[in-house]
Amino acid sequence: MSATSTSTRPRHELGPRDWLGRAFTVVVLGFFVLFFVVPILWLLIASGKSPHDLITTGPFAPGTLDDLTANWTALVQFQGGIVFRWLGNSAYYSLAALVITLLTTIPAGYALALGDFRGRKALLTTTLVVMLIPNTALVLPIFLELSAVNLIGTPLAAILPFSFYPFGVYLTYIYFSTSVPRDLLDAARMDGCGEVAVFRRIAIPLAFPVIALVGFFSFVANWNNFFLPFLTVPGRAAPVQVGLTELLSNVPAFNPTAAGVTAIQLPTLAVATLLSVTPVLLIFLFSQRFLVAGLTAGGTKE
Amino acid sequence: MSTPQTRERSTRIPKRSVAALTVLSASMLAITACTPGASTAEEADSEYGFATVEQKSDAPITVWVDASRQPAADAFVAANPDVPVNIETYDGGADGSGSFQTKVQAFDQAGSGWPDVVFSTQNNDAAWASQGSDPFAAPLNKGYFEQSFLDGFTEGALAPLTVDDTVYGLRNDLAPTVTWYDQSLMDEFGYSVPTTWEEYQELGEKVAAEHPGYIVGGVGDAFAEEIYFWGAKAPVNTVVDANTFSSDTSDPYAKNMAAIIDDLLDAGVLAQESVFSPEFVQKYTGKVLMLPGPVWYSGALFSNPDSLNAKPGTIAAGLPLAWEGEEPAAGNVGGGTWFISQHSANLDAAKKFLEFVTSDERYQVDLAPGLPAHKAAADKWLAKQAEGGFFTGDFTENVSAASAQIWDGWGYPRFSQEAVWAKTVTPKLAAGESLVDLLPEWQKAIENEAQVNGYTIK
Amino acid sequence: MTVSAVQRSPSDAAAGSSRGIRRRRPAGGRKSVAGQRSRVSYFFVSGYVLLAVAFGVFPTLYAVFIAFLDGDGRFSGLGNFAQVVGDFRFWPAVQHVGAFLLAWLVGLLALVTLLALLVHSLGRRWLSSSIRFVYYIPGALAGASSVVLWLFVLNPTVSPVSAVLHAFGFETFVQTVSPGNLPVVFAVIAFWTGAGGWIVVMYGALNSIPDEVLEAARMDGAGAVRTALHIQLPMLRKWISYMAVMSLASGAQLFVEPRVLSQASHAVVPADWSLNQLAYLYAFKQQDLNGSAAIAVILLVVSLALSTFFVIRGGLFERD
Repeated sequence: MSATSTSTRPRHELGPRDWLGRAFTVVVLGFFVLFFVVPILWLLIASGKSPHDLITTGPFAPGTLDDLTANWTALVQFQGGIVFRWLGNSAYYSLAALVITLLTTIPAGYALALGDFRGRKALLTTTLVVMLIPNTALVLPIFLELSAVNLIGTPLAAILPFSFYPFGVYLTYIYFSTSVPRDLLDAARMDGCGEVAVFRRIAIPLAFPVIALVGFFSFVANWNNFFLPFLTVPGRAAPVQVGLTELLSNVPAFNPTAAGVTAIQLPTLAVATLLSVTPVLLIFLFSQRFLVAGLTAGGTKE
Repeated sequence: MSTPQTRERSTRIPKRSVAALTVLSASMLAITACTPGASTAEEADSEYGFATVEQKSDAPITVWVDASRQPAADAFVAANPDVPVNIETYDGGADGSGSFQTKVQAFDQAGSGWPDVVFSTQNNDAAWASQGSDPFAAPLNKGYFEQSFLDGFTEGALAPLTVDDTVYGLRNDLAPTVTWYDQSLMDEFGYSVPTTWEEYQELGEKVAAEHPGYIVGGVGDAFAEEIYFWGAKAPVNTVVDANTFSSDTSDPYAKNMAAIIDDLLDAGVLAQESVFSPEFVQKYTGKVLMLPGPVWYSGALFSNPDSLNAKPGTIAAGLPLAWEGEEPAAGNVGGGTWFISQHSANLDAAKKFLEFVTSDERYQVDLAPGLPAHKAAADKWLAKQAEGGFFTGDFTENVSAASAQIWDGWGYPRFSQEAVWAKTVTPKLAAGESLVDLLPEWQKAIENEAQVNGYTIK
Repeated sequence: MTVSAVQRSPSDAAAGSSRGIRRRRPAGGRKSVAGQRSRVSYFFVSGYVLLAVAFGVFPTLYAVFIAFLDGDGRFSGLGNFAQVVGDFRFWPAVQHVGAFLLAWLVGLLALVTLLALLVHSLGRRWLSSSIRFVYYIPGALAGASSVVLWLFVLNPTVSPVSAVLHAFGFETFVQTVSPGNLPVVFAVIAFWTGAGGWIVVMYGALNSIPDEVLEAARMDGAGAVRTALHIQLPMLRKWISYMAVMSLASGAQLFVEPRVLSQASHAVVPADWSLNQLAYLYAFKQQDLNGSAAIAVILLVVSLALSTFFVIRGGLFERD
């Protein structure tokens, strides 16, 4: 009856059960904070150490600024700063694919959840099947398709396959089918809105969280995708994940024949790893609020 | 009311899906019919010794190198500005990535896209690149390259690239195993340097008793068998012909070597950590009395400030160890290879490129990090290394001799012996099992791997 | 209108759709609102369908097709399947993936739900927001770039969690990645990278539960645990089942983590540990595309079978 928000809950006395509950929450959440964060902390510290220090000093012994600078310099000098080119490629492919993904998956999820057409079940099943088949089996046929239309090596050879995002369709479908009541749309229809208008004016504003979710996850999936771009956009057009494996092959620990100027040491690899994840984390940081905003019921109050 | 509707519905759908399936199947058949072997026009060309595509003297050549070999490509471009070259870097197939083979496989399916020249850090690519109905690698000794040039390589250098007497590529560098030892420690402890495996075992036992904590070798790396068993002439990796393979770990050479390793492991004088691992550096800096291993340990371990960081003038490279009364035999760990594609449209430019990068001083002597496979360049490279004076003893002579002593009974199959050793033997040795007891299991694992890679076991 | 329920097709009944009746088309050729609505729906899905056909359906059919052909393009029935199943690496790979799936699915489903509920119960927004961010960070570390991380984290000599490794009795890197430990090691790695994203999704799903419902439950005196079990979890049913299906799929397709560890350990962790890796080796190392496709089809069939369970139990295809 009263739309009280959860933050102003009536104050009860905190009995022992409440304290137990709180302790449990703190312990569990705290443990997992450590679980997720400790290896990342290590990576941060490792990026500022010299190769010798990395091997001989303790995992949490701090590095020096000089070593960090040296590692960074080694990274940006590798093949004339190719790491920035890789990052640029990744950004371009992921963003372009994100736009196409949003344009195709949001309406599709909407139609699957709230539309009425023959083949709805078939499309859902097909999507599920395609998600379940191992992608190693799909990469070669996709490569052949792109090769047949002479797209290999062009940006489209990464962007187009990336844009196909069945996970996003399912996410949108579930979201629309659980959080947007049909009555709301029927009300709009009764008011005289055409189907497209209903979608544009009612569904999309309500779907803001899932648009953010699909957009974000699609971006991350594209950013982290390795095998497809490895085949279709090699060399200087490669995204950062493919580039990192090339970087790895110049680490003497992994390739003893790498020596001299082109050798990359392990701390430099750590810097490269951090560099490749920073854009994703920045985007997550700023978009988190939109990602988790759920739909609070309020649309169909009759 | 509802019944005719649902019935109508259930009969309509199958027809539609049948139609859809037919269309898709037809297109499927079309694609699969077109795809394999869609090769370009071929003419039997006796000048090169194999069927080539149409040659264009100004067609640019695409060269794949890894970052460490990019200086080679750059040096060629600087020396030959009139030859059009597109340089593309890739991971070189390092650490078993198989990217060279993967990409060629994809191009074979698509029927286009092959590079003209490829460098690979692995030395067994000829085993697959020479096979198939439309192999990738161009044969070099059928009229394409001059035999005099091919003879300029160190004896045995081209063995990994030779399949059924046809040479399919050129060797970039050699990596024979030598007997590394610390002269200063030998002098301090009063030991003489072993020249046979039997003396090696004796020395190991002595060291365990008199100076525990020091090591005389290491078996923690995936290439341990290439140091010890190859050097012991064990017939564990015999490629009989392109499709037949044989492995025999019950051979006396194999069993004796396994017994030596077991003995030294029990004595605690063999490192079980990889030479690249942090533990190795932490535990054994200054404690390496002997370390049989490939030539490139020089830069990777001994003179490397991030690794063992030995003092100048203490480390020496001895000849490979021999069995008592026999000639020394060296193993081999690595050595990159260059290939030319059969599908290249400018074979002359590719030939020029390969001749330059394998033998020209401007790369192989001045810039190359490893022992060149081309004899003349190797001699000059060794002289340059000796100038630095880091290593003591007969470094130049011994390395040069070792490079010609690589035992030729060890084959270069399509699969990786290192991977089989790492998967089968390393964990068990780490758990304390005896290598002699593991020999049958190791042989079975090798044979299994050979079979799935298309070999018949003899 | 329950008369029609009896005559509904089995697929409708299986999906438990109680509103299937709404989807009946009106009789005759009347161009009705429903007809127009379905045309617009076709328009909405058209973009996605195009991409799906090009990059999903066609490659899948191609893969399934060539699984039944031999190397020369002739029909070979189940020949590839027999060859693949008889491969000495096949059953070990199946066992590996099975053990991994068990460890991972159970861990993921239980812990993600628990953590999402706990984070959601926090009062302060900045706190829950920061914790979600921290939980997510590993998710940004894709496989290829995490080699150096695992090379060190799993090595008891230099690992930041060496105390934990020593507690389990591991003294060397090789001991940590010994074959018996690998399913759990990979489950932990996969959880570490994957949980954060799912926690975000579940958190958003929890936010979709109307306040009134939770308020009513509180008024009725339900504590946190009762609310969770009887109100929140049932409303999350579809999301949880989706998470289960997706995790099943990605778990069965395990590829990146074993490959990364294989690189980091220089092949001590073999390159044929998981089924998907084996499919890759068939295609690109042994140049046997048909065998590779056969493995893919096997994986697909098993994943489909298992996920049907979750689809039905979770009502994934239902609509409210």
